[in-house]
Amino acid sequence: MNVTFTFLDWLWVGLFLALMVGSGILFYRLGRRSESDFFLAGRGLPWWLPASSVYATHTATDTPMWITGVIYRHGMAGIWYTFFCGWAAISAFVSTRIFRRSLAYTQAEWNVVRFTGLGSELLRGWMAGWQFFMNMFVLGWVGIAMGKVCEFLFGWPTWIGLVVFSLVCAIYVLASGYWGVVMADFQQGIIAFLVIIIVSAWGIHTAGGPTGIMDQLAALGELDRINPFAFTGWWSGDFPIAWFITMMMIAILGGFGMGTTIDWYVEAQRIQSSKTVRDASYSIWWGTILGLIRNSVWAVAILAFFVMFPGLTETSEYEMGWFRLGFDYLPAGMLGFFFAAILAIHLSTISSHLNLGALYATRDLYQHYVNPKASQKKLILVGRISTAILLLGSFFYGLMMEDITSWLIFALWIMAAGIWLPNILQVVWWRFNAWGYLSSWIANLGFSWLVVWILPALNVIPPLPDYQQFWILMVLGALVYIPVTLLTKAESMDHLVHYYVMSRPIGWWGPVRREAEQRGYLLSNGEAVAEAAYLSRPASDF
Amino acid sequence: MIKRHWTPQEADEWRKEDWIAIVLSPLCYILLTLGTALTIFMLVSGYIMLGVGIVLTVLLHWVIDPKLKAISTEYESRQQQYLSELEAKVRWEHRNPDES
Repeated sequence: MNVTFTFLDWLWVGLFLALMVGSGILFYRLGRRSESDFFLAGRGLPWWLPASSVYATHTATDTPMWITGVIYRHGMAGIWYTFFCGWAAISAFVSTRIFRRSLAYTQAEWNVVRFTGLGSELLRGWMAGWQFFMNMFVLGWVGIAMGKVCEFLFGWPTWIGLVVFSLVCAIYVLASGYWGVVMADFQQGIIAFLVIIIVSAWGIHTAGGPTGIMDQLAALGELDRINPFAFTGWWSGDFPIAWFITMMMIAILGGFGMGTTIDWYVEAQRIQSSKTVRDASYSIWWGTILGLIRNSVWAVAILAFFVMFPGLTETSEYEMGWFRLGFDYLPAGMLGFFFAAILAIHLSTISSHLNLGALYATRDLYQHYVNPKASQKKLILVGRISTAILLLGSFFYGLMMEDITSWLIFALWIMAAGIWLPNILQVVWWRFNAWGYLSSWIANLGFSWLVVWILPALNVIPPLPDYQQFWILMVLGALVYIPVTLLTKAESMDHLVHYYVMSRPIGWWGPVRREAEQRGYLLSNGEAVAEAAYLSRPASDF
Repeated sequence: MIKRHWTPQEADEWRKEDWIAIVLSPLCYILLTLGTALTIFMLVSGYIMLGVGIVLTVLLHWVIDPKLKAISTEYESRQQQYLSELEAKVRWEHRNPDES
């Protein structure tokens, strides 16, 4: 498909890009003030700004393709695939609150707030390096999706869409850091949401409206596609109830932990950039529900696409369905506006991951391990250099993405399965220590290779559905990290008391709480904090 | 039934209002997601889900907002000290009691 743009279309695109780069220049002075400004906007944002960033960042170029794919295949039931972000429901009032109180810049830094000694440093270093790599990978993944969209629309080689728009985005990220990211995200979020509504409504109208879609589904014998609970049995088919229960458990109960999904690492930055604990909670809650409502609108539009083009079997054909609704049916002059919205979707994701990856490189690797006495000016310079390295690395990943995608999806999966429970335990159980957490990562790496690849290849076990792999990996991992935790020393009580008083975690923290009460930092009725006593505590308790 | 006035210190504790939020919040997400889609299809089940979802969302915020405000007030008074401790830690100026 080749789209022809009029002058008005290119005008929309040009105005939009000028607006984005302009905001970078506008916030340049704020971004260069300090490390806290360059990466957290000075920790002073009202909830609606990080909320719009949560929404905009998780509306990426590949999101409509992915959602179109699952809805086209499974009908409305496919919306549950998008519910992985439901972790934010509980997290907003539990782990978000606890993490915000820790003040850690990143999840890697949180490890040294929660744990202590060599184990905590190993965790910090590992997590920072892994997150730097992951952000580069996501940039490549999303960048090449943009390359494919441009190839689909204009017939350009894929590298052009990958390189050109990521470079434009890098201008304002390099200039103003997170200030530029969040201010651009706010504008991009509004533009993207409006256009998603307009294009979807246009598509639904073109397909005959809601009743027309249902009539056509009935004529096709596919009316069950509007039933979100159209399961294929308890264990069988491609949408079993067992999968649904596992998915909902992972998503919803995951909100008690930190890092139970890959999105947590992005949200952690939004949480810390919020002005107060309350702002942090609402930013996560409202940013996520906006994304879920967007998914609902998309789902109906994809069913409209389905009745117009039923029977498509090639994924590459039907996953562009939502884009086709826009480019095939919007009137001339609106195409450029639609493309500008796609750019908004794209830039918001790219900018967030550029700044986030640079945060891990600067705060957790450079500052903590290379140059702890670095000045603020130096830290911002390192932040900018890291941003540039991420950008260049993402081009490399993007161009080789076809070859490595299946391996990297596997890498994402192993990250989620065996350490899901440890990610919760580190928040809710005082006795869980750095060695237990570290061992869960190592054990998970080994077991996931065995369960997902090696044992099925040797015909020792059959290839298992992903939800069964999840349960097996969870049990196998627990057989390692629970003994390791109990056989190694608990974290120092001084450190735990400090963490407890500061973060007030939920769960099983009885011995730590009693110790805090004994030291006079908390009163036993829980109604008053001996603030003066706490603030004048000995330095060894810090 | 629902506590609406919190001292900052009381708000720091995990109380039943937190658990009400923990239960209501995922329900709101599910009802608003499904309710929006089915309402576009003009199905009665969609109107009901969306309506209940909106009511529960209002209730959720009514229950938890006073507590979150109180927590924020209490925490802000200490944040500066915690931040300076965190900066000391990243610069290795913080002495770990285990290592002394």
